[in-house]
Amino acid sequence: MKSVIAMCFSAVTLVFFTGCRTDYDIEEVAPAEFLESSGGGEHVHEEFAAAEDSSTVDEHMEESHAGHVHSTGARNHGTQWFFNQPWAAPFVWGKLLRDAVIFLLLAVAVFVVTGRRKRK
Amino acid sequence: MRAVYTFSLMTLHMLFRRRTLWGILLVILIALAGIASVPSFDVSNQGRFVLDFGLFGIELGSLLLALGLAANLYPRDKETRTLMPLVAVPLSRWQYLLGRFFGAAIVQAAALLVTCLGLMLILLFHKLPVPGDLLPATLLIIVEGWFLLSTVFFFSFFASPPLNWPLTTMLFIVSQMSVSEFTGLLPSAPGLMRVLRMILPHADVFHIKDPIAHGFSIEPVYFLIAVFYGLCYSAFMLSLALAVFRGRDLK
Repeated sequence: MKSVIAMCFSAVTLVFFTGCRTDYDIEEVAPAEFLESSGGGEHVHEEFAAAEDSSTVDEHMEESHAGHVHSTGARNHGTQWFFNQPWAAPFVWGKLLRDAVIFLLLAVAVFVVTGRRKRK
Repeated sequence: MRAVYTFSLMTLHMLFRRRTLWGILLVILIALAGIASVPSFDVSNQGRFVLDFGLFGIELGSLLLALGLAANLYPRDKETRTLMPLVAVPLSRWQYLLGRFFGAAIVQAAALLVTCLGLMLILLFHKLPVPGDLLPATLLIIVEGWFLLSTVFFFSFFASPPLNWPLTTMLFIVSQMSVSEFTGLLPSAPGLMRVLRMILPHADVFHIKDPIAHGFSIEPVYFLIAVFYGLCYSAFMLSLALAVFRGRDLK
């Protein structure tokens, strides 16, 4: 019974802890400059949007990519998945630290609550 | 803590004597050698491929080791009746749990370090570059392995070993999912799924194989935060395991 209470207590505490009721993806909370630097592929493709013939588009794309040079520090196209990972997103490190502290406190709380003996 | 230390050493000696450990270790090393033997067909950057898949292999190895080492520790102790005299006098239940956990954790860490060494040797043998961050990446996998170990202990107190394997594997798979992927499992209740995802661990915190394979450097602060996160989550899982264990009737 105590273990069930402890687990319910953990779940309720986590759910009602201010500011961390739901989880999110890095992309959802990333600042604008982070997304701009990782999703800068559009500037290449915009010029082909008006083209009607798809084969012409492919040829243009091949030519464009062959000689395409990025400015220093700019990220390559289609690499959002790579940079939307915790190691590359310092703005979620605080959340990780906060979660870690909450889990540690919960661990201590569960240990203490379940360790108390019944007194007759 | 003296009792925990002594019992950890006993667990360590017991696990080293078991064939399970050596069997899993051999399987991981053979898999790593197999990955490196895949022909590159003159495609450049074969080192990245070997490194990326090698670290993924080590991560899967940590899951296998956690299950192989700990899934039947408690059930066997209960079945052979060695548990009752242990918790009757010399050890309290939390000391028993911590002793078993630390013993298994040390064995698991040693085995994963051996696989890291094996990957290094395989890379050197194939004349591929060995990145300096390979060891920190393995250390994060070790922390992930400890989290899996604590999960195995948690399940072992109320599930049989054959049930423990799929349960832990399922948690391992779910913990790899991003929030959007996890919410996609039940799109009709996104709020509930986001709350559940928050409680579940984030295994992507321990993944630094991609940046290492592509030559990116990792901030030391991030490494420390990831280790701290892993240890805290392991402590949380162990406390839940202890809560279940304390409620068990051992008769």
